[in-house]
Amino acid sequence: MEQIWQGILKALQLLVTGDPEVLQITLTTLRVSGTATLISLVLGVPAGTFLALKNFPGRKVVLSIVNSGMGLPPVVVGLWVTIFLWRSGPFGYFNILYTTTAIIIAQAIIAAPVVTGLTSAAIQQTDPKLRLQIRALGVTNLQYLWLLLKEVRFGLFAAIIAGFGAVVSEVGASMMVGGNIKDETRVLTTATVLEVSKGNFDVAIALSVILSLLAYGVTFWLTLLQQQQQGE
Amino acid sequence: MLKTEGICWKKSGKYILRDIDFELSPGECVGLVGPNGSGKSSLLKLLAFLALPTSGSMWFKGQLISGKAPLTVRRQIAIVFQEPLLLNSTVYDNVAVGLKIRKVPQALIGPRVESWLEQFGIAHLKQQTARSLSGGEAQRVSLARAFVLEPEVLFLDEPFSALDAPIKKSLFSDLTRIFKQTKVTSVLVSHDFNDIQRMAERALILIDGEIKASGRPADLLRANLTKQASDFMSHWRQCKEFAQNS
Amino acid sequence: MKKTRALSYLSILMLLFSVVLSGCGKTATPTAQPPTPANPNVILATTTSTQDSGLLEVLIPEFEKKTGYKVKTIAVGTGAALAMGEKGEADVLLVHAPASEKKLVDNKTGINYKLVMHNDFILVGPAEDPAKVKDSKNVLEGLKAIEAAQAVFVSRGDDSGTDKMEKSLWVKAGIKPAGKWYLQSGTGMGQTLNIASDKAGYTLTDRATYLANKKNLKLEILKEGDAALLNIYHVMQVNPEKFPKVNQEGAKAFDDFMVDSATQKLIAEFGKDKYGQALFFADAGKSEAGLAAK
Repeated sequence: MEQIWQGILKALQLLVTGDPEVLQITLTTLRVSGTATLISLVLGVPAGTFLALKNFPGRKVVLSIVNSGMGLPPVVVGLWVTIFLWRSGPFGYFNILYTTTAIIIAQAIIAAPVVTGLTSAAIQQTDPKLRLQIRALGVTNLQYLWLLLKEVRFGLFAAIIAGFGAVVSEVGASMMVGGNIKDETRVLTTATVLEVSKGNFDVAIALSVILSLLAYGVTFWLTLLQQQQQGE
Repeated sequence: MLKTEGICWKKSGKYILRDIDFELSPGECVGLVGPNGSGKSSLLKLLAFLALPTSGSMWFKGQLISGKAPLTVRRQIAIVFQEPLLLNSTVYDNVAVGLKIRKVPQALIGPRVESWLEQFGIAHLKQQTARSLSGGEAQRVSLARAFVLEPEVLFLDEPFSALDAPIKKSLFSDLTRIFKQTKVTSVLVSHDFNDIQRMAERALILIDGEIKASGRPADLLRANLTKQASDFMSHWRQCKEFAQNS
Repeated sequence: MKKTRALSYLSILMLLFSVVLSGCGKTATPTAQPPTPANPNVILATTTSTQDSGLLEVLIPEFEKKTGYKVKTIAVGTGAALAMGEKGEADVLLVHAPASEKKLVDNKTGINYKLVMHNDFILVGPAEDPAKVKDSKNVLEGLKAIEAAQAVFVSRGDDSGTDKMEKSLWVKAGIKPAGKWYLQSGTGMGQTLNIASDKAGYTLTDRATYLANKKNLKLEILKEGDAALLNIYHVMQVNPEKFPKVNQEGAKAFDDFMVDSATQKLIAEFGKDKYGQALFFADAGKSEAGLAAK
């Protein structure tokens, strides 16, 4: 109990004094996971929409792969991305292993199936008669997609929240492709693991508190937006 | 305005429409009747360019339409279904959406939407969300959404079937008034022949995907028809007789 | 209503872009005085216990200031660090498993193989000491006593330097440890100590990690000082002839740095202020055979 209390006090201390290292780690976390989520949106929403609306041979197989991708262990993604980014690997030429770019790539891969799957589910839930009515309004293909996505915006927000949640909380991929390098690729999750292994439990608890606040803060804000849209 | 010749529609190996020859003149209201599964809604979809026939030809305002109808043509029609099928936003937004799609200037949208909301008696619901409306109110919004576009042809697929009698009565009278005012060219599908009688100048009886009879509604009640059409109309004849005798 | 919605969409986009862009300006070099080498990144593969000791947090900044190189410290298990060397994925290695390192030196994967420092391993356990390890003659007798008593012993079980040392000791004691009393944690030294402390068991640890974690542990030093318990650190460069992609100049700079006198002095002083004793013994230039624990 004492230790938990110490941890919370330490968290407050680090936050209030604006400890530069913690600030750096927090900003890196936000930047990396935010960018990864954004990329997964750009890739996942069109992909999910396509899967939901277009009937093509093998569609069910693709959908099941996407859905199982939602449960893909981050550490597995980390391993495979590492293999590809090694100097001896196919993309070693780019020298991006152990950089934040590598973490962003790995996290985007983790989040993309989540966003794709949830977007597809949201669109498949729309009434086909409603889709017909929208098309009957004289829409171009782009306008059709825009109206349809606006219609399922509640589900889309859920997809964003789920995607962000998945990546901001993962540690396996970040550790492997990032290397947990101080001032460069250290994020809140990997820093927590490091502090635990060093025996600095108060700092570890502090970091976990900050991570929880960060994750909660972003999710809270997104939820507000989601609910606000609904109520209009 | 609209003409078809020899339209056939085959789905999963079965013909849902066969040999449809149809003509619609400007200002006309044509009714489509028939038993369930006769293909009325399917024919309406084809006429509204929402689906493609397997064979046959269609003309819109004299222009032959082959394959998917061009955007300019599709934007001249509007359709109202049995369910209101509104979007998840306000009444105003729902009615305005078609105009926004057609890039009507912002300044013109407001007054047009307002005036049609007035026509259908729902101006007071302008800012309400579509979800909170009653069945009758929602269907009025759906109609306003169609009329605000001032379409060349208006298609109505069983617009009253989901409403109960008193709601239907009030909406029906508003709609007939608006029809008289605007003289919009329209095709009305209904399983209730009374509606057709009161609104349409001409009617077609569709059975098993084929047009079995056509003519003025009053005539269809009296005339000698093919057996199938006769069987279908017999129910309505009985109703008329019942109404006349009581 | 419309305006607030548009504003919130805009605010999301702006926030995301500002966050994304905030990272772009980060690649500037900190202070301009040291030379900026052509390829500034040096990948150092080392072990988690080396990183956990905190020594690198003193040495690396010194190196970076002096040479302008940027060190990417990848702290993994000994097995992984050596494997990275063997694949050419790292530029320079700092590890402490001489028996396994020999292979890399022999097949010319590692060059400029130099002795840097050593610390020692200690056998820790609960104060009650049920197996009476404290009374045994040396560490090998201590292990035999633990096995005889079937007392809980927590092993790293991860092929790390510490793990290899532990396994070699069992071999020397003529025992094959197995049974419910012998636990394999598969985690780092800090975590393994926590497990041992929690289960009131024995474990083999390096002195530095033990001292760093002491405040959280209910374990005491029960055996130390044996010649067999030396933990010896070497540095080596990954051979650029075998792996052309390594940063040859950077690796050499680090290799030289680890054995120069200023660095060796830092190593010898490290830990004195915090723990009252040095955690490492600087050994550059000595022969391995002549090392002693204290």
